[in-house]
Amino acid sequence: MGLIAKLLRKNTSPARLVGFALSNFIGLLIIGGAVMFYVDSRGIWDDDESVINTDFLVVNKKVTSASTLGDRESTRFSESDVADLKAQPWVRRVGEFSASDFRVYASVSQGGRGMETALFFESVPDSFVDLPQSAWRFEPGQTVVPVMIPKDYLALYNFGFAGSAGLPQLSEQLISGIPLKLYMRSEDGRRTLQLEGRIAGFSNRLNTVLVPDAFMRYANSELGDGGHSAPSRLIVDVSSPGDVAIADYLSSHGLEVAGDKSGSSAAYLLKVVVGIVMAVGGLITLLSLFVLMLSVSLLMEKNRLVIHRLLMLGAPLRKVGAPYSSMIMLGCGAAWLLSAVALVALRSLYAGALEGLGASSGGMLWGAGVAGVLALVVAAVNYVAVSRKVKSAWGLRISDAE
Amino acid sequence: MTAHIEEITLDSLLPRVFAREELPYSEVWRRKVSFRRGGRYLVESASGGGKSSLAAFITGARRDYEGKLLFDSRDASTLSIADWQELRRSHIAYLPQELSLFSELSAIDNIMLKAEICGDTDMDRVESWMERLGITFRRDYPVGRLSIGQQQRVALIRSLCQPFDFLLLDEPVSHLDEGNNRIAARIVEEETARQGAAVIAFSVGNPIMIENPEKLNL
Repeated sequence: MGLIAKLLRKNTSPARLVGFALSNFIGLLIIGGAVMFYVDSRGIWDDDESVINTDFLVVNKKVTSASTLGDRESTRFSESDVADLKAQPWVRRVGEFSASDFRVYASVSQGGRGMETALFFESVPDSFVDLPQSAWRFEPGQTVVPVMIPKDYLALYNFGFAGSAGLPQLSEQLISGIPLKLYMRSEDGRRTLQLEGRIAGFSNRLNTVLVPDAFMRYANSELGDGGHSAPSRLIVDVSSPGDVAIADYLSSHGLEVAGDKSGSSAAYLLKVVVGIVMAVGGLITLLSLFVLMLSVSLLMEKNRLVIHRLLMLGAPLRKVGAPYSSMIMLGCGAAWLLSAVALVALRSLYAGALEGLGASSGGMLWGAGVAGVLALVVAAVNYVAVSRKVKSAWGLRISDAE
Repeated sequence: MTAHIEEITLDSLLPRVFAREELPYSEVWRRKVSFRRGGRYLVESASGGGKSSLAAFITGARRDYEGKLLFDSRDASTLSIADWQELRRSHIAYLPQELSLFSELSAIDNIMLKAEICGDTDMDRVESWMERLGITFRRDYPVGRLSIGQQQRVALIRSLCQPFDFLLLDEPVSHLDEGNNRIAARIVEEETARQGAAVIAFSVGNPIMIENPEKLNL
């Protein structure tokens, strides 16, 4: 250690530095731990739905006796209904379901045996479908149409129908390879369309048979009677699924949400809890920042005369600040390193329990990364404070310093 | 900064505190005065005449003056902090009246510290100066435990341990006997001659005995 550093470190209080490192460590650990747990557990909520994002809700009006008796309009969304929904603060965007205005029959033939069924199609704007653009598109003249069916349909077939009818069970991969013959016909039976369908994906959340929007527009113009009817289902992209305001709005407007929402509610709750924990960690980190700033500034205050005299001898400002800066780096580095080690220990506590639930990994890296960025911020703020303090010592008058 | 500063010019310089006062006769304040590299100057004043102020202006410790202070053609008020630090390391050596030693460091460490800041110093020369000024036996004592006279000699040696164009000595021998005064003067003359530098010594009545100085009344 040089003579300059020896002089400047005079009056250093190890207890205060350890106090800083400890409080910074605790703050970083809490924040890093919260981030790590959030990232690790996110998989539980997100993984089962890969094709349609969990933040999407499918909304429809409740079916009443009136609608059964023929008043179809009561379950349709008017333009003002849609506009009102779009105006809600928790809504990012709203997509309308388009229904097919024609009849659809689908048939599968496999190994000499055939199956045929009446079917229907719906479509939503393509931006709501998380499939690659190449797998989910249609242009007039194309002979193959991508189709998405609910996962439940496959389960229904595999575990209900196939056993009783003596048919083989089908995997997702297998069924995706089977060509589907689609036969479409207008209401009056005069116009027909024959195409091949291919299963492009399975969805948990959308309880319908989905085709690309472009195909729906094309087929409706070819086979439909031209009337545009209001949608009876909407797909809504919400900013925080599980928000109480959403449930309130839906029930007060007589709306239903398709599919299970418990996952998104739990995910929302998790977000809130993680948010609170991170706020506590943030507060502790902020306090540790001030503890460090205060103790370094106190130390520099005590050594003010020494600093001034060194500057009068021509010592560069950077060199005078260096012993304090390195002290800060050391403290922050130690706090971060400790918190990273503690994160590894923390993860081993819950890793076993989470793995069974299909958790994702990588939380460790995120937790340590966020803690590292925070430690850097704490160090940078203090570095700037040291530089300013040295600069102010330069401007001292000798009589002030004495 | 250039390799050397050839001239320090005071142009109508006056400490701001003097601005509203009746000023006694002065050959420095409110006049145009130049100190040239290689010269020997003895600035004498009564106590309170502002000699420490002048030293503080030239070393950048204070800026509360009226008029102009020029290093060659460069106005001191345009210098940045980094410029001043370079000036203190390479162009202007300064022995302040209050010595500004680090009392917990030994005599030799105070000098080594200066070397750490200003670059290499010829340690043989330093040892010979200590020998001649009679403080070798206090070499490793904390400066705080030396007498004022001994401290003054340590501080004088420290001020010489750097490259400089001007050496500012603020009452450098106020606590030295005549013998040590002469030795100090010889050492100062040798070192300024070696570096081609000027010495500007301030005194309130016990001047350093350098030969043939140009005298100025502050």
